[in-house]
Amino acid sequence: MNIPSSRRRFLRSTSALIALPFLESLGFRRFASAAAAQAPAKRMIFLGLGWGLTTETWFPDANQPGSNYVMPKGLEPLARHKADFTVLQGLTHKMVNAGHQGSTFWLTGANQFAVPGKSFHNTVSVDQVAAQHFGRHTRFTSFQLDCGTYAGNSGHGQGLSLAWDESGKPVAGVNNPVEAFHRLFSSDDIPLERRKALLKKRHSILDTVLEEARDLQRGLGKNDNAKLEEYFEGIRDIETRLGKDEQWLEVPRPKAPIREPKAGLAGYEEIKLMYDIAAAALQTDSTRVIGYRQPVDTLLTSLDIKVAPHDMSHYHSTMGEKLDASQRRDLANSELLAGLIDKLKAMKEADGSSLFDHTTLAFGTNTRTEHNGDNCPTLLAGHGAGLKMGHNLVLPKGTPLCNAWLTLLQGSGVPAERHGDSTGIIKELIA
Amino acid sequence: MTSLLLIRKLLPRCVFLALLWPLYSTVSAAEDAPPASMDPSHKALLEEYCLDCHGPEKQKGKFRVDELSFALNDLQTAERWQKVLDAINSGEMPPEEEKQPPSKEKADFLDDLAHVMVSARRQLSDQHGVITLRRLNQRELKNTLITLLGAAVDVSDLPSDTDAGSFDTVGANLFMSGSQFEQYEAIGRNALEEGFALRAATGVPKKLRYEVEETLKTISDYVRTELETHERGKKWVEAVEAAMARPENATVVAELRKSAKSDAIVRRSWEKIAGAPSPESFGFISTENTADKANRAFNNNPASFAYQSRYLELPALDTGAYLTIRDIDGGLNSALLPRIPDGFPPGDYVIRVRAAATAESAPERRFLDFGFKGRKRPTTSVHEVTGTMASPEVIEIPFHRTLEHRDQNRNGLYIRERGTADNFEQLKFKQEQGRKLNGIGFEPAIWVDWIEIERLPDSEIAPGLRALEGIALDDKTRPPKAPELRAAFERFALEAFRGAQPSERFLDRLVGCYEESRADGSRHSIALREALALVLASPKFLYRAEPSPSEERRPLNGPEMATRLSYFLWGAPPDPTLRALGNSGELLKAQVLAAQAGRLLDDPRSMEFVKAFTRQWFNLDRLDFFEFNPALYPRFDYATKLSARNEVFETFANLLRENGPASDLLRADYVVINGALANYYGIEGVHGDAFRKVSLPKDSPRGGLLGMAAVLAMGSNGEHTSPVERGAWVLRKLINDPPPPAPANVPALTRLAGKVLTTRDRVLAHQEEAQCASCHRKIDPIGFGLENFNAVGLWRTEDSYHVKDDEGKAVPNAKISWTIDPAGALHHGPAFASFLELREAIATKSEPFSRGLSAALIEYALGRPCGFSDEPLVDAMVAQARTKNYALREFIHALIRSEAFQRK
Repeated sequence: MNIPSSRRRFLRSTSALIALPFLESLGFRRFASAAAAQAPAKRMIFLGLGWGLTTETWFPDANQPGSNYVMPKGLEPLARHKADFTVLQGLTHKMVNAGHQGSTFWLTGANQFAVPGKSFHNTVSVDQVAAQHFGRHTRFTSFQLDCGTYAGNSGHGQGLSLAWDESGKPVAGVNNPVEAFHRLFSSDDIPLERRKALLKKRHSILDTVLEEARDLQRGLGKNDNAKLEEYFEGIRDIETRLGKDEQWLEVPRPKAPIREPKAGLAGYEEIKLMYDIAAAALQTDSTRVIGYRQPVDTLLTSLDIKVAPHDMSHYHSTMGEKLDASQRRDLANSELLAGLIDKLKAMKEADGSSLFDHTTLAFGTNTRTEHNGDNCPTLLAGHGAGLKMGHNLVLPKGTPLCNAWLTLLQGSGVPAERHGDSTGIIKELIA
Repeated sequence: MTSLLLIRKLLPRCVFLALLWPLYSTVSAAEDAPPASMDPSHKALLEEYCLDCHGPEKQKGKFRVDELSFALNDLQTAERWQKVLDAINSGEMPPEEEKQPPSKEKADFLDDLAHVMVSARRQLSDQHGVITLRRLNQRELKNTLITLLGAAVDVSDLPSDTDAGSFDTVGANLFMSGSQFEQYEAIGRNALEEGFALRAATGVPKKLRYEVEETLKTISDYVRTELETHERGKKWVEAVEAAMARPENATVVAELRKSAKSDAIVRRSWEKIAGAPSPESFGFISTENTADKANRAFNNNPASFAYQSRYLELPALDTGAYLTIRDIDGGLNSALLPRIPDGFPPGDYVIRVRAAATAESAPERRFLDFGFKGRKRPTTSVHEVTGTMASPEVIEIPFHRTLEHRDQNRNGLYIRERGTADNFEQLKFKQEQGRKLNGIGFEPAIWVDWIEIERLPDSEIAPGLRALEGIALDDKTRPPKAPELRAAFERFALEAFRGAQPSERFLDRLVGCYEESRADGSRHSIALREALALVLASPKFLYRAEPSPSEERRPLNGPEMATRLSYFLWGAPPDPTLRALGNSGELLKAQVLAAQAGRLLDDPRSMEFVKAFTRQWFNLDRLDFFEFNPALYPRFDYATKLSARNEVFETFANLLRENGPASDLLRADYVVINGALANYYGIEGVHGDAFRKVSLPKDSPRGGLLGMAAVLAMGSNGEHTSPVERGAWVLRKLINDPPPPAPANVPALTRLAGKVLTTRDRVLAHQEEAQCASCHRKIDPIGFGLENFNAVGLWRTEDSYHVKDDEGKAVPNAKISWTIDPAGALHHGPAFASFLELREAIATKSEPFSRGLSAALIEYALGRPCGFSDEPLVDAMVAQARTKNYALREFIHALIRSEAFQRK
């Protein structure tokens, strides 16, 4: 189903002045998709850890900056990838003071109280900024995996996934591997006819208000018309979005490169499965941006750890079995991440390079341990953003975490000038 | 390209104007305003210090000063001068090794140039009366939906429209986007749902009384349980210790002690100690470590719940309850939280609190904070408790219940002692203070007998709902047929569009949307609301259009005049009276228009204008930019801040009501305050919540904006006063001599960090560099003259400064104290020895103040910048007001009478 050409013509003709960026963007899209066929596309994966990690045994020694550092105990399972990841130290979100919310502001850096009189405020997350740029080429603008109802127990805080949209609203995530698999690789449950009808209704709504906008426009002079053009532009943006839905409506889902997952897995096995699905989603170019709020409580259960997750993050008070739990959790996380990197390295692009060469993984949280938000653990891996890998990068205390996000964006070709409370890019991070 | 860059620089927060520039440039900029120009005398400085490298001989950087026009009447010239300003300001030019101009000369040059650039900006951005199509801003949308449907919905997700650096009425800054469109749809649906619910609830009475003594049981249970748990913990500890003492456990215990910081940690390993009982056997059950729980119970001894034990000894617990100060217990009775039952429909309510202050309570503690539930939701209003234990009094608090209050996080209200739980820091501070006092905590100050919630009789049916009469709003009766529906849509749209006619095809399509939803399985009421929401998301509702196909400026017609007037003075659409006068054209008669303006100002709805205008004109939002440190300023809590902000509004409102002189804002022998502020300012004999005019003794520092806590607190950073911030504010708002924007690329004065200096010495460092002195010599003396007011506007004669390290800790022996010396002189103006003399000097500035007020009113009312071409209008407004001793309403009447107001 196409948008009636009469409307397109109309939308284009309302004002040559303002229509320009629109035409340009259409043209750009065509150009970009053509180009994409030649150079492998950039991808990003964000993995959120909720209740932090063990400070003493996860971070490399700050006195051994650079590439020649001793692999700390918590990262040992990643030793075989040493040249392909970098640990950043000293990063923080200065506006965030949220001890039980490891993920809510992790990718945004927003000040929860920025709006007087409102008790909660958030801004766009870095993955969504990237998704706006990369997402137009794929069926899913971004794909959010989540631990669902366990989010609170896992120290992630408010939100439905790691992602927050342009206006700071939470983006929903998929809570279990089976559902994620079907979303990506199985045909839609809702019959095609019904989906078409829903889109048609949305078009009728836009047509209705456009009718009134045109009626108003007829009476207006040049200046007022230029202002009203913003309204047309807004409607046009929605139509572009609907247009993308229509474009994919009858395109069949790709064949799954992995088997349908078993239902009912939890913890370690579930995370592993989610990683497989994430890799498969990138491999089939179903999306180029993925986020995952990982479960912590079920991870502990699956490792046969009896300590409660929140209690574990307070390991300093008693050490003993809480510290032990925290360290075993770190090892499990590192093992899982090493496995995901193996997989991405093994997947080949058309030009013979690996998927890992074009992907960046960000692994971390804005709760380091206990309720501490300073020195947010941040591990970046992959060669998709031209970042310097293989380093223990010790930055001045209080460097905005958003500077890392900005560097990641710019390195991946997203034309962002700032993100959150960023003050600039991290030059030392650039290869 | 470069000229676009320059416009961005000239109009840093008005990017959209830059886009529109080509449209306005058809009007000649230089025609009716004097060009901004540099005085020819400055040629000497340029020739002396610049010409060698930037003249006919050499043209370093391809820049020549000898070809620079001294009249800045086009963008290219302005851009070149901006380069000169930036280069000298940053110290880049003249280069270090070259000859430098003397400081005074350089400062004067920069001062002039900076001001000329400001003029050039005003001139080049002058819209020459053209008003850009205005969208309803966030608050106007909210008010419009209240008028149309009686529904007060949450619009806070929309852009606030206030961050463009000008008024939120300025059309050019009111943008639109796709996601915003979807928000309008959603807000429209919410408003309709609420309106329909209000309509359905017409005449439903609801009333409920809470007898708060019921809370006693929770507290006595708490104390009993705590005591019992502590005893169990103690027994477990004793039992483990007994086991530890056994000789056969000596080795194990010694081993455990080696790695444990304390005995409590040793006890966590009770399993390794033979004969030690499990915490479970003493009733400690937890998903976390049970030994930790038992250890905590043991540590939690009676001293830690002494505050609650003490509560149980207070009198009158059988008939009421006390408000406590939140403690580690989770705050039993630190707030009374009446829940409104789900069955209570939306509408206007009143909450009544019968309360008394205890005989011993200090006067500043006899206030209640009222707000909606949610710990982080700020206080909505503050109320003085004037009743005594012998004769409690009833406090009435009105509020509007909306459908959003169904949300379980919002379905309650709270009453608590003022300033006890504004934020975590304050809470901790109060606890510590109370403990220091008597080891237990502050004695409760307020006793509450009962709380009552009552739904008030409905006001008349809102016009939008009246328009729908005749068709079913619910699913109980027959849904309407297409023609009935179409007619109802038309009536509704006419109302929503403020009289503008919806197009035939729009109405047809609305019916189509409704039918599509119905065919899709939606119930009638849902389909109806979805269709009507489109009316509320369409441009004739969202924009205040004044159609005019040609660019010619035509007079407004009657309905347009009604709309312009009511959005100016009420921030809301016209009421039936005004609409009728507009429709008949009567409103276009000068006398009728003036009378209606008077009527609108007399109406309580004009408070919307007062608040929106003064808040933005005076930049009152700055009050929310920082938290005031509760340990330093315990009295400046949310309740005080709220009252202080209201003082500004109420003072302005009082002037409007009495048609008093605007110059009273510069100096007055009265204040407009309530009981809370009287207590704060130390003014005796004023009690209760209503703001009223109170006469002041002759030597009082209060009276006028300069004595207001809100204004003074804005001129601080929450911790220290900022003489620069205060001085600049006075220049901008009271004297109408705004300093130019702070220059770019000037390094911050970091070399003074950590030095033991008085505020005056620290600030005076600004004047060492010529480029800084040019403005600071005007700004700083005013700021110093206000130093007798501390960061929260209380009077002081001494000040001190204590150096702090990176961790925020005070450095020993790095403190200085001094007696404040407010003496100084206005730049090129009279000297003053005290704050009162400074205030006298500023009080002579009624004329420039009136010009500033007029310009602000023009911008607010017309929704466009006040440009050079508006100078005649400003002159006329001031001249008119001057004849009536600057009476506030005269400014407004003169504006409304002007051609600018009456033309498209």
